[in-house]
Amino acid sequence: MIKSRPIYTPFQIDPAGRTHLVATDLAKLPDHIATPEIETWTVETIAPGIAAPAGGMTRAFRSVPDLLSHLSHRLSREAAGFRLYALGKEAFLWDIMNIARAAGLGSGEVFLTQLGSLKRRVYCTHCKTMVEDVATNIVTCPGCGAHLFVRDHFSRRLAAFMGVMVDAEVPGEVPPVEEVYAAWHE
Amino acid sequence: MNISLKPAETFRGDFSARNSDDAILRFPFPFPEDAYMYAVNIEPHVRGGPTAAYDAVFDIDEHYIGECEDRALTLIDDPLRCQVLPHMRLAEWDTLELLMESLAFDYPSLFELHRQGDQWRWVNHPLGIDQSFTFGDAETLPYPPFEYITRQVQGDFTIQDQRENNLFMDGGMVTSQADWSLNFDLGMSFHEWHGPVPVAHELGVFDRALAYLLRLQFGKPVRRLNWTLTVNPRLDTSPENYPEWGPDKATITPENVGHKMCLRVELQTLTRLPRSNAILFGIRGYLIRLEEVVRVKKWGRRLHRVLRDLHPEIAEYKGMPRYRQTIVDYLSAFDDGAPTNSGTAPEQSRL
Amino acid sequence: MARIKNIIALSPTIKRIIFEPADGNLFPPAAAGAHVIVSIPGPTRVWKNAYSLVSKPGKRAQYEIIVRRVTHSRGGSAWLHDHAEIGQMIDLSLPANLFPIDWLAGKHLLLSAGIGVTPFLAYLAALKDVGAAFELHHACKLSEAPAFEALLRPSPHITLHTSRNTLNVTELLARQKLNTHLYVCGPASFMDTVTEAATRAGWPSAKLHTESFGGATGGAPFKARLARAGITINVGPEESLLEALEAAGINAPCLCRGGACGECELPVLGGIPDHHDHFLSDAKRAANNAIMACVSRAKTPELILDL
Repeated sequence: MIKSRPIYTPFQIDPAGRTHLVATDLAKLPDHIATPEIETWTVETIAPGIAAPAGGMTRAFRSVPDLLSHLSHRLSREAAGFRLYALGKEAFLWDIMNIARAAGLGSGEVFLTQLGSLKRRVYCTHCKTMVEDVATNIVTCPGCGAHLFVRDHFSRRLAAFMGVMVDAEVPGEVPPVEEVYAAWHE
Repeated sequence: MNISLKPAETFRGDFSARNSDDAILRFPFPFPEDAYMYAVNIEPHVRGGPTAAYDAVFDIDEHYIGECEDRALTLIDDPLRCQVLPHMRLAEWDTLELLMESLAFDYPSLFELHRQGDQWRWVNHPLGIDQSFTFGDAETLPYPPFEYITRQVQGDFTIQDQRENNLFMDGGMVTSQADWSLNFDLGMSFHEWHGPVPVAHELGVFDRALAYLLRLQFGKPVRRLNWTLTVNPRLDTSPENYPEWGPDKATITPENVGHKMCLRVELQTLTRLPRSNAILFGIRGYLIRLEEVVRVKKWGRRLHRVLRDLHPEIAEYKGMPRYRQTIVDYLSAFDDGAPTNSGTAPEQSRL
Repeated sequence: MARIKNIIALSPTIKRIIFEPADGNLFPPAAAGAHVIVSIPGPTRVWKNAYSLVSKPGKRAQYEIIVRRVTHSRGGSAWLHDHAEIGQMIDLSLPANLFPIDWLAGKHLLLSAGIGVTPFLAYLAALKDVGAAFELHHACKLSEAPAFEALLRPSPHITLHTSRNTLNVTELLARQKLNTHLYVCGPASFMDTVTEAATRAGWPSAKLHTESFGGATGGAPFKARLARAGITINVGPEESLLEALEAAGINAPCLCRGGACGECELPVLGGIPDHHDHFLSDAKRAANNAIMACVSRAKTPELILDL
């Protein structure tokens, strides 16, 4: 296990915080994670024109980009003592973290819990294309066509894993492709 | 210090770069013993050491013009090889000041720095630069300050921001790296950046190194050596361009290994910067062909032994497996088995 | 080596001392929050005291410090007040910075008490230079208010508090946005009050920066046996272990001289240390196998050091 891999924590409210916001890329959190009294943002694909469900402490956004944009706006008006909890796939967690950092939040204020898909966002080192939802150890870059080996080296800033050409030394000599990041993680 | 600068040689394409006898004798050979294992191996960075490469605070050698040109070409191709995060503004000026002061002091026939308050004038004779500017005002320079000065120095540089009891790689000029990506690693903490290095983490090397560097004092810079192998004297062995240089690795034969295979050594310096409290990490790279390095008898013997007995995980990480045996076979001809002194000095003054 | 260029009394207890380089060159540039260690030549010994630089960061022709004459001082500050003279040569260390500005902050909230304001004088110059958002609240005794007013020049962003009632730390913190960093400097009791309020407010440690001016205190005398050197030195009631080692000619490492940085840690082989530092972990303290020489003392009559 490479030392640059982040370590995630199970969901737990921080008693030292005074205001709490939970954000997930799922439509609904798993039953064993209950957040009834806490403001929770979810993502549910709802067609435009249909009102998004909003009830109690939960608000649903139509897409992850929509949620992230609302988050930026919300953080700029929040005060000290705020705690943010992100639950979802890895790329989502770090997209949240980057917005949180830009707003001034740091360690001790943002908590990340990996949930759901283990698929990876991969950064093609050769052409800088981001490839989303990669389930295999080797992926073909949609930008430049390179066969990329999906490394464990992870960039929090780019919120992605490093992809480097696997057959540079002997072109065409590509190891077998295996599906290794598909599992669902509770 | 007087050095004879070569006109531009190439570190790509036809690889015209060669080391003169002087350059070979001043090479910072990295192995003081017949075996190699990771260690913190930090020592004070003072003027003077086993070879002339240690004589200046930032070493300029005969390859200066060629290396600056190679850097300029790489930056045209990929501007993201030089990036500094916005909060590191003070560290940029610290770096410019440190490098200009050091170069002007160590090489007065090549560089001049004239200052009146914050009105500075920098003269770089080898590159034909005469630049007047206001220290602290980026508008008065043709490039941002960190990029401006690092374009005129050999070696890569990163600036580490110190906060939260950690060091963050928040800026760099990285065009001669041994296979790591600035754009990918920008912003990483100390352990994250070193994540891919095998073996060393278990030994606690990085924990101790970080604790030490957090207390690095102004006025007391330190240095250490790192090494790897590169096919051809290619400066840009970036992951970005791996498709270009990767194929070189499969072209090594017993006939060409002496000429094409290079020992690549990084003389790394760590300096506390005064205004920003950041740490400037200098990665000064040197490339020498195997057929050049074995002309120093001690180094030929030692290099053979080190590479023959190298820990397999380290060999793997340094990208050696494909040609390790070919190298060891070539070097064995230069190892007569004689006992060899500790230390890295060449122990001969002529080749 | 530096020369005293000027001494200005700001009040009966506070003096500004201005140094210039002795050799006519320039001092190295220093950052806001940096300090120098001044080697003060007393009648029987040299005191080494750390003082924050209050001069404008980057100013190289002179360094300025502010010294408060402490009534129960072990000597250094009293000597500077009573005996320092213009033209005198004094040894200054290179600057070190254990209290730097965090430039990732969107706003810098500075809280100080008494002489703890000194690093913030340099901060103000650096923050104003780039138009950074800040707020400074300084608490001081009524008698010293005129001196601090002259130093700080109150403005919408700078407030002087001469009574406990006007500085409401809890309320102040509650209205800060998420990108505010908090910096605190002053005597131990002030630091404790503020850091406790910050913890209650849920303020994360990454955005809390402190510099303690507590420093070394005297105490019961004890002996320090240097196991490897084979000598025993006496640590008097008015000096720290570090100072006793230095007086005995032993070059012990140090950096902040305030128990915070870890540089002066020494291994203990015997005896029980009396820890006064901010550096060692609880586990290390309990193990009694290390001591921060600049501030800590001994519970037993003798300590055995691995020196």
